Amino acid sequence: MADALHTLSAAELGRRLSAGLLTSRTLCEALIARYHLVNKKVGAFTHLDEADVLAQAEASDARRKAGEGRGPLEGIPVAIKDNIAVKGQPLTCSSKMLASLVSPYDAHVTERLRAAGAILYGRLNMDEFAMGSSTENSAIQKTFNPWDLACIPGGSSGGSAAALAAGLVPLALGSDTGGSIRQPASHCGVVGLKPTYGLISRFGLVAFASSLDQIGPMARCIEDCELLLRALASADARDMTCFGPSDRAFTPAGDAKKLRIGIPKGFLGKGVGAEVATAVTAAIEFYRSQGCAISEVELPSADLAVPTYYVVATAEASSNLGRYDGVRYGHRSASAGTPVEMMTNSRSEGFGAEVKRRILLGTFVLSAGYADAYYMRALRARSKIRAEYLAALATVDVLLTPTVPTPAFKVGEKASDPLQLYLEDIFTIPANLAGLPAISVPCGKSGHLPVGFHLVGAPLSEAKLLAAGRLFEAAHGFAHQQAAL
Amino acid sequence: MDRPPLIAMAEGFDIDHLAKLARLNLTAEEKALYSSQLNQILGHFQTLAKADLPETIDLARVVSESALRSDEPGPVLGAEAVTRIAPASRDGQISVPRVVDDEA
Repeated sequence: MADALHTLSAAELGRRLSAGLLTSRTLCEALIARYHLVNKKVGAFTHLDEADVLAQAEASDARRKAGEGRGPLEGIPVAIKDNIAVKGQPLTCSSKMLASLVSPYDAHVTERLRAAGAILYGRLNMDEFAMGSSTENSAIQKTFNPWDLACIPGGSSGGSAAALAAGLVPLALGSDTGGSIRQPASHCGVVGLKPTYGLISRFGLVAFASSLDQIGPMARCIEDCELLLRALASADARDMTCFGPSDRAFTPAGDAKKLRIGIPKGFLGKGVGAEVATAVTAAIEFYRSQGCAISEVELPSADLAVPTYYVVATAEASSNLGRYDGVRYGHRSASAGTPVEMMTNSRSEGFGAEVKRRILLGTFVLSAGYADAYYMRALRARSKIRAEYLAALATVDVLLTPTVPTPAFKVGEKASDPLQLYLEDIFTIPANLAGLPAISVPCGKSGHLPVGFHLVGAPLSEAKLLAAGRLFEAAHGFAHQQAAL
Repeated sequence: MDRPPLIAMAEGFDIDHLAKLARLNLTAEEKALYSSQLNQILGHFQTLAKADLPETIDLARVVSESALRSDEPGPVLGAEAVTRIAPASRDGQISVPRVVDDEA
């Protein structure tokens, strides 16, 4: 069974497709069979149009046969988080608000995947509007951690991480506003990368907090993560924060054994689980043994990151989600006499509890009399955090910490304590506040649950993050482990 | 000391006003729950009030390549695609409840 198609990397599948040892149709049929076997247990996908997948696969096989293959992703299935638009497919954001929405257009990343010959393979569950760290905020279904079905997969890209760990698909797209790619990747034992802000177009990504949101690749190994990242990054005039030609991010990183690795002071201390600390310390020692220079760095404003993030992100969310008014698309309340009643009733019926909580918080921090004390102070704190990270990254190549302080918790365990859940994001948030690239790499287990370490680099240092991850992965082989389902 | 708004927050949270601004109807239970949770979250935000912060905000993008494009017409969704996803439409236009009263 070691050779079963669902266990192989995208890169290996691509090699077999190129060599004529495999067709995309055969691959997709195998993954659809896997879907019927395990998706009910894991709950990663919310939608899969099998006929459409097989039609795409046949078209890919025909292109390849005609000598018109489009590159390394030709015929490879990529599953997509349900907040990224694919024309003709549902775009629900796992919300009742958009339950019946079918996207009338493609996101830029979707166009890129089509141009690369990839198979657009189904819709993945998520926390409603990407707000959450456990995927428990989905209005559609629960998603469970393939390594322990009683535990959460992380979030908000929990469907993406769980689908990869369950062998449902070789590649997935996630989105990351405060850790939503990296935190579930850590909890499910897969690789997740949040690119430099602006490397990948956000056109067609449903907006949560626009100054923080990035789409990114998720995969079971570093090689696949890089393959997908390269396909996604390109200029797009429809997102004015997307800066285009991205060669800098892929400049060869040189010898990974010469990387200078900074360990932020105190980050392995309070609140970090013992087994997480052990696994991450072992990763640090591995890099030291390879010849990397390990040094301690100071990030004095680290404690400000969570409050700063939750002020900025909720402020932007309260503004972005103002568009859900029941007028142009999405849910419209049946009981609406006046336009204001229509808006208020539609929003009250369509949004779930966490989304309402964040809209209220964001409305408050922007409201008259409080905006200076909260929102403007948060922007000043954001400036300070960013300056500290950029200064630290002028002396080292990457900063290494755990991705999440503790392993995945039981479904329902923290559902009534939003602040506890917000603190899950403590290590991942600064990269979003500073616009920096960051990756989570599997590095061990706490009991039977995966643990990941987190690397942050300077702007456009994706190649260094991937090189560091590759060095670790090659020596440890976590990428080849699969959850038993 | 010189930051009264944060202190004022802890003394009273006008959930009705916020709900109105956010265009949300909240039940009595929701008001009680959200008030308590928001107060707890805002309490955690007090670290921001105590922090020594720069006076200026520097949030220029980390990668400074200009992304401004020329202002030229491009493809847009047609009326048919737009009305197909609208909750209600008539004669190729989105319909909404009456906005202006006859008596006005």
